[in-house]
Amino acid sequence: MSFLSNYIKEVYGAVSSLLIGMKRTGYYLTHNKEVITEEYPEFKAKMADRFRGEVVMTHDAQNEHACTGCSACELACPNGTIKILNKFDITPEGKKKKAIDSFVYHLELCTMCNLCIVACPTDAIKMSQNFEHSVYDRRLLTKQLNFPGSKLREGVE
Amino acid sequence: MNVQEIIFYLIAAYILGTGIMAVTTNRIFRAAIWLLFSLVGIASLYFWMDLEFIAAIQIVVYVGGIVVLIIFSVFLTQKAGDEMPVALKSRTLPAAFASLFALAFTANILLHHNFGSASNVVFDPNMDKIGMAMLNTGDGGFILPFETVSMLLLAALIGCIVIAMKIKKEETQ
Amino acid sequence: MFSIENILNSFHEWLSSMLNQNMVMLLEMTLIAFFAITLFATLGLVLVYLERKVSAFIQIRKGPNRVGPFGIFQTTADTLKLIVKESFMPNSVDKFLYQLAPFIVMITAMLLLAPLPFARGVQIWNINIGVFYVTAVSSLSVIGILMAGWASNNKYSLLGAMRSGAQIVSYELSAGMAILSIIVLTGSLNLQDIIASQENGWWIFKGHIPAIVAFVIYIIAVTAETNRAPFDLAEAESELTGGFHTEYAGMRFALFFLAEYINIFIVCAIGATLFFGGWMPFHIGNWEAFNHVMDFIPSSIWFFGKTFFLIILIMWFRWTFPRLRVDQLLNLEWKYLLPISMLNLLVMTLIAIKGWHF
Repeated sequence: MSFLSNYIKEVYGAVSSLLIGMKRTGYYLTHNKEVITEEYPEFKAKMADRFRGEVVMTHDAQNEHACTGCSACELACPNGTIKILNKFDITPEGKKKKAIDSFVYHLELCTMCNLCIVACPTDAIKMSQNFEHSVYDRRLLTKQLNFPGSKLREGVE
Repeated sequence: MNVQEIIFYLIAAYILGTGIMAVTTNRIFRAAIWLLFSLVGIASLYFWMDLEFIAAIQIVVYVGGIVVLIIFSVFLTQKAGDEMPVALKSRTLPAAFASLFALAFTANILLHHNFGSASNVVFDPNMDKIGMAMLNTGDGGFILPFETVSMLLLAALIGCIVIAMKIKKEETQ
Repeated sequence: MFSIENILNSFHEWLSSMLNQNMVMLLEMTLIAFFAITLFATLGLVLVYLERKVSAFIQIRKGPNRVGPFGIFQTTADTLKLIVKESFMPNSVDKFLYQLAPFIVMITAMLLLAPLPFARGVQIWNINIGVFYVTAVSSLSVIGILMAGWASNNKYSLLGAMRSGAQIVSYELSAGMAILSIIVLTGSLNLQDIIASQENGWWIFKGHIPAIVAFVIYIIAVTAETNRAPFDLAEAESELTGGFHTEYAGMRFALFFLAEYINIFIVCAIGATLFFGGWMPFHIGNWEAFNHVMDFIPSSIWFFGKTFFLIILIMWFRWTFPRLRVDQLLNLEWKYLLPISMLNLLVMTLIAIKGWHF
């Protein structure tokens, strides 16, 4: 008889466990409010602050940035994503002063490891939350981070 | 010739055509498929005669059962997809003679016994009646053959289980 | 009263007054063929859309929402794409059987449409053996699948076809047993008789627990017979890439796809007819007033409502349960469903003989 009772127990267990699963999916089937999908181009998700989309350089209203061209980020980068091309400005006192000409950033090489941001002594660069990186031409992925005509903010050394 | 007759000859031509294809094709799987079509044609002939129950039985037993079994065994044969060589003359000739003999034999019987006109008894192929006749112990009942056949099938089933059963070895400690 | 039956009858009389009998017959057959094809196309569109929406809601998604309001034209667009797509045929297939297989599957589905009672007095062919005809003809569809799997000359297709064959042949048994237990109660195979016997209540309520057990077994078995998840071993995407229709593309694939949904509709319609009274409105015993109110809802709405309820139930299964392994599939059938349905049939016979049902 133990065979029979085991058999009935098995059938009962199977049916009840299947019903539990169906109860859960049935709940979602009838509660459309639970849908968390958003229609992408109309509604763009706000990414979390810790999300690392790409490296950007912060500029203030006077089009000034804080990058001194010290290349700490370039050295910190594990796969050569950042290239800093420096130039020498001539100050009114006639002294030569190092400044960046262009901060070249290869997005296609970047692994979003955040090491450059940690290495930056002046907090000139940060990670943005932008995630729409697809382009038709991969040359567009090589970016210059400092805006044209921007210059170093006063007092940043 | 009325519509009924035209339909009959169409069905008959279909059965014969597919039957001939079944025996002449060189691929074994195609032969099974042509046989299937021929059997479906016979089922449609039963439908033509308003014998719906027999027609459905024809489909269930022959098409759904036997041909599927044949197809499964074809799947398990070697080189089922290749074209088979044409049969040897020494085999085709006796086969042709045998089938001609069978044809002559059947034609002989058919020609010597005229088809009488249908009797006045209305033929009622109702399923209830078939069921009652199958399990009837009185006159016109088929309980004995019915039970004998079911015993035979039971024996076949048990035989299959015995062949397929895995005998557990004595557990050694 | 205004009903489909009256419209059809007056249409028939109008035709008969104009043409002779054979012409009327021919014209009506053409119209029925046209109706069947239209119904198939519409059903395909509606069911695919329904399935995508149900699956989306179950998985907390939105489903199709771009083409038209709520994406209702999505399936139309898909169909257009499939029609225009090249129906590519691989080199080493058995060309004749490869091209024939989708049509076999489709024709089988079309044949099954004949005995379905869509509404009061609306039926293409009131065949005497109704339910048995359906079970008999539905066994033909396995041939189409085996043919497709073999002719594709691909090991995935062949494996899928073999699995599907084993599955359909074995689950036909318990589906048949479940149907039989209702036949025992009605004493007739004719679908109209079965519906008429549910005048004072549907069998699932009148037949006590055995009817409910039979219904559950029927639903499980037909889910397996139509090769749907959790029994979709025949096309198991993750193992066999696509099963028997791996090598099919374009309209040939669309025919397989359509036939799958038509088969679901048909088995659900048969299930609704057997257990939920087909087009018969919801009646309770002798409550004349209540029954009369229920009769105001047209019978076609009752039929399609019940059928779509069962279809959604089967879709609910599909998006809830994981796929079974082959040995689990066969264990389920031969060790559980078949013995239980046999016992159930015995209990049902006892109930029918003793007259214990309502």
